Amino acid sequence: MSSPHHEPSSALYPPEPPLIAGHKSLGDVTREICQPLEGRPTRLWWIGFIVAASALLLGVVSVTYQIATGIGVWGLNKTVGWGFDITNFVFWVGIGHAGTLISAVLFLFRQKWRTSVNRAAEAMTLFAVMCAGIFPLIHMGRPWLAYWFAPYPNLRGPLWINFKSPLVWDFFAISTYFLVSALFWYFGLIPDLATIRDRNRRGLRTKICRALSLGWNGSARTWHRYETVYLLLAGLATPLVFSVHTIVSMDFATSVIPGWHTTIFPPYFVAGAIFSGLAMVLTLMLVARKTMRLEHYITARHVDTMCKLMLSMGCVVGLAYGTEFFIAFYSGNPYEQFVFLNRAAGPFAPAYWTMVICNVVIPQVLWLKPVRSNFAAVFVVSIFVNIGMWFERFVIIVTSLHRDYLPSSWATYFPTIIEVATLIGSFGLFFTCFLLFCRFVPVIAMAEVKGVLHAPGHRSDVAQKGEAA
Amino acid sequence: MTAPHDTTTAKYWKSPAARAGLREEPPLPGVNRRGFLEAAGFATSLVALGGCQRAPTTIVPALTNDTDNVRPGRARSFATTCGGCAAGCGMLATVRDGRPLKMEGMPEHPLSRGGLCAVGQAQVMELYDQERLRGPLAAGKAATWSEVDARIAAALAKIPASGAVRVVTTSTSSPTLRRAIAAFLKRFPDGRHVEADSVSVSAILDAHAATHGARRLPRYRFDKANVIVSFGADFLGTWISPVEFAAAWKSGRALPHREVVHEHGAEAGGAADASNAHAPAKTGRTDAAMSHHVQFESRMTLTGSNADVRHRLHPGEMGLVLSHLLHRVARLAGESGSPTPLASPSISAAVLDALASRLWENRGKALVVCGANDVPTQTLVNHLSQLLDAYGNTLDVDRPSQQLRGDDRETEALAEELASGKVAALFVADIDLVHDFPGGEAIAKDLSRVPLVVSLATRMDDTSAASRFVCPDEHPLASWGDAEPIAGLFSLRQPMMQPLGNARSAIESFAAWSGSGGTVLSLVRATWKEVAFPRQAKETDFTRFWDRAVHDGFVEVDADIEKLAYRGFDPQYVAAAATGKGVAVVLHPQIAIPSSRHAHNPWLQELPDPITKITWDNCVTLSPRLARELGVADNDVVSLKIGDGVVLELPAFIQPGQHDDVAAIALGYGVRGTDRFARVGPQWLEGRSTVGVNGLVGVNAAPLLRFGGGVVQYVRDNVQIAKTGRRHTLATTQLHDHIEVPANVAPPGSKPRDIVQETTLDEYHQNPAAGAPHAHHAAEGELWPDDHPYNGHRWGMAIDLNACSGCSACLIACQAENNVPVVGRDEVARHREMHWIRIDRYYTGDDDDPAVVHQPMMCQHCANAPCETVCPVLATVHSSEGLNQQVYNRCVGTRYCANNCPYKVRRFNWFDYVHDDALANLALNPDVTVRMRGIMEKCSLCVKRIQEGKIEARRLGIPLADGAIRTACQQSCPTNAIVFGDVNDADSAIARAMSDARRYSVLEELNVRPSIGYLRKVRNATREEGDV
Repeated sequence: MSSPHHEPSSALYPPEPPLIAGHKSLGDVTREICQPLEGRPTRLWWIGFIVAASALLLGVVSVTYQIATGIGVWGLNKTVGWGFDITNFVFWVGIGHAGTLISAVLFLFRQKWRTSVNRAAEAMTLFAVMCAGIFPLIHMGRPWLAYWFAPYPNLRGPLWINFKSPLVWDFFAISTYFLVSALFWYFGLIPDLATIRDRNRRGLRTKICRALSLGWNGSARTWHRYETVYLLLAGLATPLVFSVHTIVSMDFATSVIPGWHTTIFPPYFVAGAIFSGLAMVLTLMLVARKTMRLEHYITARHVDTMCKLMLSMGCVVGLAYGTEFFIAFYSGNPYEQFVFLNRAAGPFAPAYWTMVICNVVIPQVLWLKPVRSNFAAVFVVSIFVNIGMWFERFVIIVTSLHRDYLPSSWATYFPTIIEVATLIGSFGLFFTCFLLFCRFVPVIAMAEVKGVLHAPGHRSDVAQKGEAA
Repeated sequence: MTAPHDTTTAKYWKSPAARAGLREEPPLPGVNRRGFLEAAGFATSLVALGGCQRAPTTIVPALTNDTDNVRPGRARSFATTCGGCAAGCGMLATVRDGRPLKMEGMPEHPLSRGGLCAVGQAQVMELYDQERLRGPLAAGKAATWSEVDARIAAALAKIPASGAVRVVTTSTSSPTLRRAIAAFLKRFPDGRHVEADSVSVSAILDAHAATHGARRLPRYRFDKANVIVSFGADFLGTWISPVEFAAAWKSGRALPHREVVHEHGAEAGGAADASNAHAPAKTGRTDAAMSHHVQFESRMTLTGSNADVRHRLHPGEMGLVLSHLLHRVARLAGESGSPTPLASPSISAAVLDALASRLWENRGKALVVCGANDVPTQTLVNHLSQLLDAYGNTLDVDRPSQQLRGDDRETEALAEELASGKVAALFVADIDLVHDFPGGEAIAKDLSRVPLVVSLATRMDDTSAASRFVCPDEHPLASWGDAEPIAGLFSLRQPMMQPLGNARSAIESFAAWSGSGGTVLSLVRATWKEVAFPRQAKETDFTRFWDRAVHDGFVEVDADIEKLAYRGFDPQYVAAAATGKGVAVVLHPQIAIPSSRHAHNPWLQELPDPITKITWDNCVTLSPRLARELGVADNDVVSLKIGDGVVLELPAFIQPGQHDDVAAIALGYGVRGTDRFARVGPQWLEGRSTVGVNGLVGVNAAPLLRFGGGVVQYVRDNVQIAKTGRRHTLATTQLHDHIEVPANVAPPGSKPRDIVQETTLDEYHQNPAAGAPHAHHAAEGELWPDDHPYNGHRWGMAIDLNACSGCSACLIACQAENNVPVVGRDEVARHREMHWIRIDRYYTGDDDDPAVVHQPMMCQHCANAPCETVCPVLATVHSSEGLNQQVYNRCVGTRYCANNCPYKVRRFNWFDYVHDDALANLALNPDVTVRMRGIMEKCSLCVKRIQEGKIEARRLGIPLADGAIRTACQQSCPTNAIVFGDVNDADSAIARAMSDARRYSVLEELNVRPSIGYLRKVRNATREEGDV
């Protein structure tokens, strides 16, 4: 990491508040962040875990029932072939965007405030992509043949996958993204794993951490190599932030269905994904901050910055909504025009206006500083954005399909309880994983936070290094 | 298998002789493998043989000179006569390995001319129905024929001389059955054969008795008519002989092939652009003859939906409008018109004047038909027809129809006799008196007092449940029989398989009870020898005559019928309009379920009605205005009450085009035993039953029927309709009916989508490409090289929207051919019906009184198929012959292809659909895979027929002839609206159709380049008249 001791202090700019509050020493950081891992879980954690695991169980039961019975247990039909399944998929992929954005892109831009949130955000990315990955699997009529998506050598003669199909692109994009994100997360974790290893001399946790920390010894050479790898991985991960949702958007953009077939989709989807990812990071951060007593690490300054980023993305998304309408009008294509009017005034108009209000109207309050510094308000806004972004995907998928070219085939779509249970189950999976992560992995990147710790009165660098070693 | 062969000492045989030697080895103790298999095989054959109760008979395959009947794995066609209804269409039954699989139309048959309706094709489901009675019952218990015959004979012997013996059948034109019944009844002084139809046209026959001196049903010649005026007769859907009429109607409206001449370009076909809007036609007559069809009707019928001009008319006003028409035509003919002034009808005088003069100008070529079962109204029609010189031209009474001859007065008399306890013995065949007739409940009670009631029903219907003996008739596909639907047209029915059970033909039963006995084959042969053979001169040897009849399926002989004489012009005009009658309820047959007999057929139950698109239910249809007035929405259960206290509760359905004072209900529903369909669909957490609250499919509306004026009245006045507050979801396959998008989401200034293109005859005369939207496609060609060179064949299909009536016969043809599953009401309500072909029905124009277009829609086999590019595993691919192929075992079920299909013709297997009825599974086509759940399917253009045709041509070493391959939908189409073939063959019918000026592609602007072309609809009406 770069030197933390050169904050600009020109008279033009008021001194920024420190990134980490509470005058922490390096030892405090280690102690406070490792504390939840080493102590017994709190009652709040248990409540959260039981709720999340129950939701996960509900999801497992409903998916098992669906695979045993058939896709018919969903509310899909001859006209609307995708509903909750792909909505949830795109939603979760979107959630999975902020992690890599925060850890890789902000890293490259030297945004130091990221250090408090990057670990949790990356973990969130992994879990979100896991949730996302489940839906393309279970949405298949015959999920046991999912391996046919992979271009593996086989004995079926010339049978191969169709490289023209965006679903195949998806397969590569998502799996690449997941792999790189997982690697990135893991590499960032190595110094912290070494810290945990060194805090205890016995026990299973120490053994696991010893193996996973790959012989980290805290030497200058280790740090040097580590930072080189981290920079390289950041460089690798950055284009993925843009490629994944670009490719997901091509599932729709390359089709012939009005409302899907638009060239604006790649930037629109990427902006939406970052928007929803930031909202989810904010939601989780605010909860973790409160429940895990990380007030000093996740400060008003972090929340403020995240809010600004979210607001800007919200505006980009709002611009995209407007542009879609304008282009539909400007194209003169009656099918295109109809689809957008049908979104705003047709049977799914409530979903459309939920989307607009949650994603465009409500985030505008973040222009106001008092709102941004009111954590309760920010939490509410982030929840609305989460809801709005789910509806955005629902609107894009379902309203475009349910009334397309031939009015004879127009149909409606309403989810069954199985679909709702599957959605709940995906949240269950996400939160179960996240709570386990909070329990077993330092939620804040200790090594990185220590790098930005510059409040007066802390102990020397020697102490920090000694501890890390 | 205690001691298996010792493999070290086993001998191997080289020849049968050596093998025989092997057999003579000392027997091993116990059973060895070979011995076990021999015994098992022998036992199986014994069981199989034991199942064949009837002696095998020889049947002769049609259209081929081969004499060996069964070649394993090879399908053969046999000529026979359809038993689906009384119309008696010719039918070819495809039989494979001893079981009939697919019913098709017989192109040579003079009546049906190659078409076959949905009901006729769905008969295979009846044949393989688990619940069809397969043996006689005595007092509800299984019995043997000898036992039942003996007990019936004993009961008959006890009948006193004055005792009335009645045989009630539906109209039957079978000469042999009529003879058998006559012979049986001869024994009794008071024996009578009553013919009763569940949907009767008795009034037409009665009216002819009044005007021409004999009860006779003319044969309607729609092919000879230039002007057709129908008063509520649904002759394309349900009326008398729909396939015959549809074929004839179409032949009077066929347009010649005409191509567009481009002024600058050489390319023919496609949509015309502005530059050739007035180009002259290159070929074909410019004065294409096309009949003008006017329909007056109270509800929206299939026929009305195809009319050039359609007028809504209250059923009570039909007589008045006919009187006006007759009055006007009489004045033109120089006869005296109405003596008293007629009330003014709801139809404007200008329309009536124009119609009267049009009829008069076309006298001899005009046809007026009327569906009302009302004698005075039909009498007016007869007088009008006489003035228009229709008799002998468009109405044939010298070779009249014998398809329906029910006499409602006799039915009414029978009901009275039953009530008075006069009947000593009642035999009921092929008709459900209790379910389908006025006062059915009373009849059921009366039946219990009749000493001997014998039902010959093929299943346990309401009448057989009230009968002492049930002597089930054999299915028409499994027994000999005959029909004479038109006087002089003898049509033969031959068994397509060994009987599945122990049922007995009604002919044989009556012969047994009359004491003469004989097998059905001998009786049919005898009839033909004595009745048909002497009336022809072509064949001198009866055996040859018979063989030809068996081969061809029909024989035309001289009609043995007296000529009719008109008794003179003396009409009883209807002077006053029906007033103050409130809302009338109209009871009508449904196209899919023309009578209660077909209610057990799952294919027909799931066939969307061509107009309402409702499956698995009947309902009460109301006009949009009446529904608004009553505050009723679709699916609201309403109660209908007529003064005398009959209350029916049915779900309501809003039907544009229906008269505002009319509620219409389909008959033939709520049939005993249809509770079997409760679990016909997939069973899952949210799955709902296919039956209604009464536990049956639909509600029986027959309790609303009444006798009156010597006929069964299908129209009842003064019905009170009230909401019950309950709801019942009607499963429709089409939610949005109008071609225009809803006004609240319509882009400003947008025009209706040009999915269905139509024009008027006048415009078509000026420009054969009239009706095309302005060209909006680049003529520059493709940027990319063509992926598909199509060097050999290139399959294509053209559908003539001017011929298609929307009758939906093709749906059942496709279902039977391609093993399309039945999914049940709930799945249809969830928009998951599986039919590979659907008929899109659009309304255009006014919401209350719209014009209708029907458009068959199936996979368009696009050259630039959007489905093909998106499949991740290449499960849908393009063939070198232009087919878009679905590879079932490669499909993983992402449904992306279905989403990306602009025509929404792909069907996904949401569940594993029920295939656990081993008997019903016999109807499955072994050439077509039964699809498992989780995979996509769609129209294959009958690829197995294509392959079969190609292989056959290769085997014979001849080039594939145009027309040698016919898809299932094409084969059965009564109006020949579908043309299929090789577009690359310049001389083929399909190539001509594709270059026709009327040809267009649906959604041409997407440049998916479909292989299915549509020929524009032409209405013989002005734009104002026809709502074009």
